[in-house]
Amino acid sequence: MHPDEQEEFNKILQEYMAQNPDIKITALYKETETLRSGFQIAAIGGAGPDIVWGPSDQVGPFEAMGIILPLDTLFDKKYLSKFDPKALVYGHGHLYSIADKIGNHLMLIYNKSLLPDPPRTMDELIADGEKFDEATKGHALVWNYTEPYFFIPFLTGFNGWVMDSLGNPTLDTQAMISALEFMKDLRDKYEIIPKSCDYETADALFKEGKAEMIINGPWSFGSYKRAGLDFGVARIPFMKETGLWPAPMVSPMGYSINASIPSWKIPEVVKFVRFLLSPQVQLEFTTHFETIPTLTELYNDTSVQNNEVIKGSEDEMEVGRPMPIIPELRAIWDAMRPSYQAVLGGTETPEQAAKEMQRSAVQKIKEMNE
Amino acid sequence: MKNDSAEKMSSRAFFDTERISPNTFAYILMVPAALVMFGVVIYPFFYNVLLSFSNMSLRHFKDWHIIGFRQYGEVFSEKIFYSVFFKTLVWTFVNIFFHVTIGVALAIILNRKLFGKGAIRTLLILPWAIPQVIVALTWRSMFNYEYGAINLFIAQYFHMTPIQWLGKPLEAFSACIITNIWLGFPFMMTIALGGLQSIPRELYEAADIDGATGWQKFWTVTAPLLRPVMIPAITLGIIWTFNNVNIIWLVSNGGEPSDQTHILVSYVYKAAFNLYRYGYAAALSMVIFAILLIFSLFFLNRTRASEAAY
Repeated sequence: MHPDEQEEFNKILQEYMAQNPDIKITALYKETETLRSGFQIAAIGGAGPDIVWGPSDQVGPFEAMGIILPLDTLFDKKYLSKFDPKALVYGHGHLYSIADKIGNHLMLIYNKSLLPDPPRTMDELIADGEKFDEATKGHALVWNYTEPYFFIPFLTGFNGWVMDSLGNPTLDTQAMISALEFMKDLRDKYEIIPKSCDYETADALFKEGKAEMIINGPWSFGSYKRAGLDFGVARIPFMKETGLWPAPMVSPMGYSINASIPSWKIPEVVKFVRFLLSPQVQLEFTTHFETIPTLTELYNDTSVQNNEVIKGSEDEMEVGRPMPIIPELRAIWDAMRPSYQAVLGGTETPEQAAKEMQRSAVQKIKEMNE
Repeated sequence: MKNDSAEKMSSRAFFDTERISPNTFAYILMVPAALVMFGVVIYPFFYNVLLSFSNMSLRHFKDWHIIGFRQYGEVFSEKIFYSVFFKTLVWTFVNIFFHVTIGVALAIILNRKLFGKGAIRTLLILPWAIPQVIVALTWRSMFNYEYGAINLFIAQYFHMTPIQWLGKPLEAFSACIITNIWLGFPFMMTIALGGLQSIPRELYEAADIDGATGWQKFWTVTAPLLRPVMIPAITLGIIWTFNNVNIIWLVSNGGEPSDQTHILVSYVYKAAFNLYRYGYAAALSMVIFAILLIFSLFFLNRTRASEAAY
């Protein structure tokens, strides 16, 4: 949760505590990775927070470890039917997380003052990028391209995916090789992206108006608004070569309940989760941060209907693919990262990288499941 | 009055050496500290020993059991252990070498009469005073290929081709080392300065009378008398550097590129919290502990640092 979202969340907490004077709630904010490791450490000792909020892919390992509660028995079917099905995260037939936001997906965000119309195809993107680079000696497009998560839209644009329906890695494919070559070309042949770029660099270049476009997620909207940027949201451009839209991973962000909490506390915790998922709280976030709510009744609300950024974000989500929630995904990320970066560093060819990713993913999954 | 004297009597009785020996009283005073030590050091240590013999992992998180030395076997049978261990040795010794040489050199300069000595000393201690996370992230942005201060500087003043600091393994590892050298020399400088100030001036005066050169004075007076101060500091520095996960993790963004910048501790962190191999990570951390324990005992014994100090 970003600092401005935390501020909003704190206000909501205060409101709840004012309504329930006997209840004291403490919110602890952590980055996704530190939350994941911190919650595991706490769970080893049978402790940790009562409620955990985060992206759906953390549900897989938490469920496998048995450190979060199945929610089916705590929330009735009638209540759950009010949610968009994409907001309910199941594992092995049980519900483990209820989302208050869906999406969390990558999209093309563009600076309207530098680029009134975003490119619709990759060819347009490259042509426009080359023009911008020549004129400004900068780079048209930036993003955290060293991170494999940000590479997924390119992989899917070439009709690839990270695993099959049984959870086996599918990394040594022609799609992977083509996507890696395309990424390298964007940087080295067309030179429309910087030679090296991590999240902070990309974010700073876009905010300073030194880049026309950024590939980023809805978590960044708040900071772009605060920076006074007039930005628009569009799909990552169409791949004419394959006839496919690049598909980012789509995942809901939601609440799970710690399996270690005492039974007497559960009713209060459920009551609080219901409050956090309530229409008024979801609308607060939608209004301030352009997040896509999960209660279907809110889809007709004017703050959702009239919001161009949300519309653009929903449009991108339509072509996205749900992020797998099984723990093996972690091993796949870990297997992809070294070889993906080796291709960018010029020490492996795309063919070698695809082979190595597959071998490493199979091995890591085996080690993880021992 | 009656109550007051009764209280005095009772407290006197409590400290009465006939009822409680001075040693017992000392032990009672140590109990709070011992409890804290037990909670934060002894219990976690033995719990870690236990985990290192277990199969605790993602699939056996709550139902783990003891499997003997299998995790240790895996640690030593994986090739990556040896390459990461080698990198850890390079990381440690390159860092310590520069920490000590830069630290001692600056301490010698600061020990002389120097204009603005106080301000210079404050500036030199600054790297130590800034939180490591901020230092690491600042250096990371300074190493950016196109926009980082370092490449801009070397391109403008040395007309060199920009270096892919964070994109290639050797360069990224060097970037981590440069950051840690900058961060670590003030500690050695402070220790060396304290040591230098305790060397009697008469020894240098005697050396001057004997006609010793500056270099001779350094090797025959300064170095031997600094040794008892520096050896424990170097030992501590080696242990800290060997275990310094922050800089490696933040500057290289978790071992990037291609997991080529890991040292043993960052590799343990990854095994435990990214790949959920708790038993394996516990065994590897015990191996790290054994390496450092053996090294420290050997180093302190060979250099006879404690004898010289006391």
